[in-house]
Parts: sequence; structure tokens; C-alpha cells
Amino acid sequence: MRIRTPANAVPAPSVRPESESDAEEQPAIGAQDGERGERKSRRSFVVFGALAAASLLPKTARAQAKSRQRKPSEPKAKDEFAILGPNENVAAFSEWAGSASRLVRRATLGVTAAEMTRATQMGYQGYLNYQLNHTRIDDSALETDIAAKWPLLSQSSDVLFSADANQARIQLQEGTIYRAAFSQRQLFERMVEFWSDHFNQDMDKVGYLLISDLRDVVRKNALGKFPDLLKASAHSPSMMLYLDQNASRVGAPNQNYAREIMELHTLGVDGGYTQDDVAELSRVLTGWTFSGRGTFTFDPARHDWKAKTVLGVTIPAGSPSLGAAGINEGEQMLDLLVNHPSTARFIATKMLKWLLTPTPSATQISTVAAAYRATGGDIKAMIRVILNDTWLAAAPMKLKRPFHFLVSSMRSTHPTVVTMTTLNGQLGNLGQSLFSWDTPDGYPDKIEYWAGNIVPRWGFGTVMSNLNSTTTITVDTTAYRAGSPDAAVDLIDQNFFGGEMPLVTRTALLTYIKGGTFNDARVRETIGLAISANAFQWY
Amino acid sequence: MDDQHDADCGCQEYNELSRRQFITASAGVSAAAFFPAWLPKIVMSKHYASSRDIIVSVFMRGGADGLSLCAPFADPNYYASRTTIAIPRPDSADPKTKGIDLDGFFMFPQAMAGLAPAFTLKDLLVVHATGQLNNSRSHFDAQRYMEVGKPVDPALVTGWLGRHLATMPPLKATAPLRALGVGNGLQKTLVGAPKTLPIADPANYSIGGAAATAAQRLAFMKTDFAGAEEPLHSAALDATNTVDLLKTVNFAGYKTANSAVYPNTSFGRALRSVAVLIKADVGIEAAQVDVGGWDTHSAQNPINGSMFNTMTDFSNSLAAFYADVIATGASVTVVAVSEFGRNVRENGSNGTDHGRGTVMFAMGKGIAGGRVLTKNWPGLARENLESGQDLKVTMDHRDILSEIVKNRLGNPNLDMVFPSWTPTMMGVTR
Repeated sequence: MRIRTPANAVPAPSVRPESESDAEEQPAIGAQDGERGERKSRRSFVVFGALAAASLLPKTARAQAKSRQRKPSEPKAKDEFAILGPNENVAAFSEWAGSASRLVRRATLGVTAAEMTRATQMGYQGYLNYQLNHTRIDDSALETDIAAKWPLLSQSSDVLFSADANQARIQLQEGTIYRAAFSQRQLFERMVEFWSDHFNQDMDKVGYLLISDLRDVVRKNALGKFPDLLKASAHSPSMMLYLDQNASRVGAPNQNYAREIMELHTLGVDGGYTQDDVAELSRVLTGWTFSGRGTFTFDPARHDWKAKTVLGVTIPAGSPSLGAAGINEGEQMLDLLVNHPSTARFIATKMLKWLLTPTPSATQISTVAAAYRATGGDIKAMIRVILNDTWLAAAPMKLKRPFHFLVSSMRSTHPTVVTMTTLNGQLGNLGQSLFSWDTPDGYPDKIEYWAGNIVPRWGFGTVMSNLNSTTTITVDTTAYRAGSPDAAVDLIDQNFFGGEMPLVTRTALLTYIKGGTFNDARVRETIGLAISANAFQWY
Repeated sequence: MDDQHDADCGCQEYNELSRRQFITASAGVSAAAFFPAWLPKIVMSKHYASSRDIIVSVFMRGGADGLSLCAPFADPNYYASRTTIAIPRPDSADPKTKGIDLDGFFMFPQAMAGLAPAFTLKDLLVVHATGQLNNSRSHFDAQRYMEVGKPVDPALVTGWLGRHLATMPPLKATAPLRALGVGNGLQKTLVGAPKTLPIADPANYSIGGAAATAAQRLAFMKTDFAGAEEPLHSAALDATNTVDLLKTVNFAGYKTANSAVYPNTSFGRALRSVAVLIKADVGIEAAQVDVGGWDTHSAQNPINGSMFNTMTDFSNSLAAFYADVIATGASVTVVAVSEFGRNVRENGSNGTDHGRGTVMFAMGKGIAGGRVLTKNWPGLARENLESGQDLKVTMDHRDILSEIVKNRLGNPNLDMVFPSWTPTMMGVTR
């Protein structure tokens, strides 16, 4: 099993430019620090604090900080440990200057030359509108392709029940990677990835049920309204099974789902619920289960009809004679959760972290949360607020997770795919085998978690660039070999970096490609190095 | 290692260098220009022991049921609370299912039989009714608080083991890799540690491709990432050095001591890799290893089902490590913790929901083992349970770890490792 990074919405330090002064002037942390007396030997910490705090600033802020005259830091006994953590705010490369290209990097799973052209022609707002109106983008050719390659993905649970379990897993993993790479609806796919983690389930536990969950819950609502998405998830047999809701019944409630729907799906861990609320909500939800091969069912015989109180709202005692109407207690609670102000803040914060910055400011959070409340949790409306030109221009880069990294390399190399076996296996090597994260928080989106896992990425660059089998998968290098080594690096720049390759990478790639005979092997190695390069790890 | 690491290691004058530059740094931030990239993470301890143990830190993720791992058969409320999932008494009939008496009060289940020898030889300590004082029942908060080593402080983002390493000079001055987290991503316990990487499979740690160009391609990485921002800069630098390091270690041909056999499970393989690295003497000081499967909400079955398998893997893997490494007299301490225990009374699904107090383990020649350490065992009577449902936490995990950090890891700076905590030493080390 792996580490889980808490998804709790701690009000984080603000983004640039505010943070340039914050980093060294944070107030004392943690009132509970008072439980010990003043310690000795703080001197080195304090001196160190000023320096390290500066090193944690984004590049541009640091440059500004350097130019200012400052007084020596006041001794601050409590903040020395805060500065020892990894930097989350990494300023973008100076070459990443265009606003349309910035949006392409954030709104897609990877730059392509064609996507950059499209965004440049449409302009920032035009391209954002284009991606948000995803149903108007024709993806029918891709869907036909996927239906042929991975037929189980369109089957009902009744059919999937009889299918080979391993086939179901492989088809779901491969189809998901392929679709993310080649769908024109790139922002939609970014949000599918986001909600797949938000409502994470481990296929080891839920099996084929996850196929219909991802299709009929996540994909159906990924750019819809959050309340619809949450309610669909609460009626999903896959989720019931994953969080033991199907085992919960009167007299023996199981708290697993009741806890996680509040902690991870709606309110957030600091959203104001108590252990009593968990216990009471688990009683409300008794009877919510599924039957057969995956059909949601409310079973009145398993329902606890006594009175309950959740988050201050009392549900009066009912009676078994109410039968199927007992489900309304739970439905009422789902309404309570999606309309709760903590949910607006929690979802706003998490979406900001996904699309914009690891450290959203209080202003950004309250602005996006207001959009949630004003629109009834309209995901598109929130994205319009988050991906505004001004905020994005000031946002730090984000480190690609392995899925994003692999998919972006597919978009840049555009392989001819007969089978996805190799690439699906590679995603496991990279640390993000799909639908295998066993705890309900989903794969982390934290730089501290992924930054050290760099060698598998370098190994992947080698594998990806050397794909050359017509029976499985091929990366065609003809165009790279058609001209000079300089032209090959120019083409890498267009396909991998949208014409904004950092100079340091260009110089190093040119040195490499000219350091040996200009042939297919050298070209493929150079493409592998482009995939491995620092600049390709970010978006 | 060879001298190509020296430019970025500078370990020989590590201590002196860092102090000098801290002082320089106070004059202005431009000092950062000549800092090795990893140095800002380092704060040296003034006093530390010259010899110290390597630590293997295990996190049992999911909230491990201490009442199955080490069951209080003599507590009259144990069997009353667990009608379907209790471990049979040591004096019961079936040798396949009966508990293993540890001290007349507690017992191991059969699934933990692998660790009985280490217990008998007094190298394994079980601590019971322990955990953390914060009563979060969220896996993710509770794990974070334990790994960070301080509850509820959003500003503290480094892990306790990370801070231990950051406040100690390297055990081996030229070591390119001081610690590893076995896995695809770095566990929070290790965040903040210098020269530390997540490595899923140390035996296969390379960039692949043609051997003839491997060095040239690795040189590209060093150049291209030289200007990268932290934390990627250090990660890439440490990675290039670690690729060179690990290719010198023979994982495939490794022969265990004492005929130890590691289970072919992710936990068993992880401990085997750690053992290889320890014996290769390359300067590894700490390893973080995770073992999952403890979130037993339903069909727990510690006697012959799901949790039986989880515990068997846990105990057999650690037993192999004990025989292979610790029994040879190596200076290694193992600790194993979990974020919380489970409810005393089983739920309606033959499982247990999130609780509070549980067990932790410490193992090594320097551990005062062979006993189940308790502090006023609170018992399982309902009136003695926290919130009427859970085993109380009578000892904070930091009490146990502090003593190990101080006495076995040679780091007296407990206020840096566990800030804002005054430990009560419980005599867990020899």
C-alpha cells in the first residue's frame, strides 16, 4: 500500500505575488506549541530560516526579494520547522510566455502542435469556451475506435458480470489512457481524471462495477453540476461495495461510506462534522445497497427507522410501513451535504489545486466557492472563474503526475496504436497503475510525493521513444530524420513544447543529437531525452 | 563512491560548511548562489552519537486492529465484545487457531507465529494501548499526524524521520543515498530528509536503453536538471548518483543469513531489498516501508481469512528480516506503527470500524523486548473505553519513538524531531 496525502483543504499561503512577503513573515504556527518552554539553540534555525524561506519562493519573487534591502529577520521561535518542506510554488519557465499556450498546458493533457495552433487562432477565451462546450466537439471517430478496441467499456453490468475480470481491468485501464491521449475533449478528460480520484475506487475490490461507475457517474457528470455527480455516486453500486455501504443495516451500521462521503466527497475533513454525525449518517443510509449484478436498491428491511440527527438536522422516527419512501431520508441528507457551505469551499479548493495552483489564496477559494453557491455547483462555471487569464498568468507550474506525463508523451509523439499493453505496463512502472489506489482519497496531487520518482520517468522516455513495432505500437520518426539535427530539435520543440522549449533544454538536446551519428537510433534517444527533460515534467 | 559525487556532496566538511554558510547567509540571500542544492534542508545537530542504528520504519496503513495482532485473552470483555472474530484462547483445542500465549494476558494469533521467536529472544517489543493523542478517525489526518510527528499543525510539512536525518550528519560521509522510501512516491514520514528518494524496486533502478549511450544520456539529465527548481533539482541529482550506486549492488545474487526466506509479497520483497542495501554498506541510514490491508470494516476474519493473511505476510516478512539482519547482530532497529486501532466491539459485517488505541512494535538488539509494554492497561470494559467504544490511548507513539531516536539513532535533538512534545521515556531500549 502507499502513502496517502490528506486532501484536506487547509487554507494555504496565498499565491504570488502575495507570497513574496509571506514566506518569511508568517505568524507563529500552532498554538499548541506553547506546551513546551522556550528551547535552546535556536540561533542556527533562525538564521537558517531567513535563507531557506527565500529559497522556497518562486523564481520571480525571489528575484524581487533579492533586490530589496531587508532588515535581519526577527527571531521567530515557532516557524523554523515550516520552512523545511518542499517548494510547491515553482515559477514557470521564462520561455512559457504566451497566454494561449499557458491555457493549453492547463486545459489539456499535453501540448501538441495542432492544439497550439488551434488555441492561438481562437484566442484565450475562445479556446476556453471551445473546451468547455465539450459536447460540441466531435469525438465520434475516437469513440468508434475505442468501441472496437475495448468493447467491454460499453457493456452493462449484467454482461460484465460474466466477463473475464482481468480483461475488464485491462480494457478499462487501456481505454482510459487511450481516450485521454486522443480525445479532442481535453478539458473534459482533465476533469474526468480529477473526479476519478475524487471518487476513487480500487478495482481490486469493486471489479467490473467500476466500468459503469466511471461511465455513468463520472463521465456523465464531469462537466455538469456537482450535486448531480455526488448523488449519482451515492447511488453507484461500485461505490456502495467499495465503502461497505452494502454491508450496513439496522442495528449494525457500517460507518465507512458515511464518513468518506463527508470527509472526502463533500464537506472536507475540517468541514464541521463530528464523529456523532458519522454515526448518525450511517444510520440514515442503512438500506442503501445494490442487488443482482449491480443495480442500486433501497431495502426498507435493512433501514433504521428510528430518529437521527445529522449536522443539526433531525430526521424524525419513521415506520417500516413507509417502505421505499425511507430512501428520502438519505436523499435529504445528500441535499444537505451538496448545499453546505463547507462543500462549496472544499470543492472550490480542490479544483483550484487541480487546475491552477497547489497553494490557492483565500481570495481565490472564496471567489470560486461563491461561484459554486451561485450556480448550484456548476462545474463549468467554477472552471471559468479558475482558469481566468490573470490568475493563470501568475500561477506556478504543476508537476505532471505519471498518468499525465505518459499521456502527454503520447500526445506529443502520436504513436500508431495496435495494442496498449506496453504503455499500460509502463504506467504501472511510473507508479500510477490506474484504478489500483486502494484508499478512497485517490492518487496524490502533491509534488512532495512524486518529485523523487524521477528515474522511472527517464526509463520511460527510453521506452516510449523506441516503440517501433507495427504489430503493437509505433512512434514514427521519419519527420525528425528528414532534415538536419537542428531541424529535428525544432520539431521536438513544436510537438512537445508548442514552440516554447526552454533554452537550456534546447542546448542540451542539440549537444546530444550532434554528439553521435545522425540516424534513427540517435533521433529516438533524443526524443527520449526530451520526454525525460525537466521542462517536460511540468505543465 | 567515486569522486564524481564530491562536487555535490561535500560531506567531508559537511558540518563545518553548513555552519559557516549559515552565518554567511545571515548577511544576505545571495549566499544561496553557492549553496549545494540540498544544504538548505540541513540543520546540524551539535551533539550526536558516533555509532548508531539504521532504522527501518514500517507503517501499517489502514488502522490495524491491535486486538487481533496482540489479543488480551485474559481481559474478560474481549470475548464478549467479539463474538465472531476473537482469537481462540491459548488453552483451546485446535492448534491451528489457538492463540500463542505471550505473558499470561496477551497472545499472538497464529498468523503472528512468525514473530514469536523474536519475542522469545527478547528482541521484539509489543507496545499496547498506544497510538496518538489526537482523536481523529480519518485515515488521512491520523496518518499525516503520525508521520509528521505532531498533530493538527498545517505548517509542519516534513516527517519526523525526515527531520531526524536532516539534523544528523550522514552515517557514511560519501553516501549518495541516505534513506529510501520503498514505493512509487515518498512517504510523508521521510519528507525533508536529505539525499532520500522513493524507490519502488531498488534492483531495477536504471534509465534503460543502449548501454553504449547510457553514461552520455545520464550526463544529459545532470545538465538539464542542473537549473531545475527544488524539489526536482535535488531529486534528479540524487537519482543520477543513486543509479550509479545501485548498479554496484548485487540484488539478484543476494544470499540471506540464517536461511531466511522473505515472502514473495510486496512487503516481503521490500524488506529483502532493504536488507540487501544494509548489508551492501552503502550508507543507507533509514528506510520507510508500507504494508496495507488493515482497514477491516467487513469480513475481518483474523483466524483464517482476510486479516489472517495480512498478519501472516506482516509477521513472516518481519521474521525473515529478523533472521537475516537483526539476528546477525547488525545495528538495526525496526519500528512499526498504525494510525489508529479499531472499535472494541465488532460491527454487523464481521468487521470493525475506526477506533483509537492499538499496538506498535519495536525490534532490534537494542530494544528491551520480550514483553507487551502497557501503561495502566485500561481494559475493555465499556465504562473504560474512549467514547464507550474504543481502547484508550495510554501512550503516545512519540514517547516510544523518542527513546529510540535518542538512544538507538543517537540523535538527542528530540525537540527537532518531535517539536512541542515532551516525551515520557518508557524504557523501550536496552
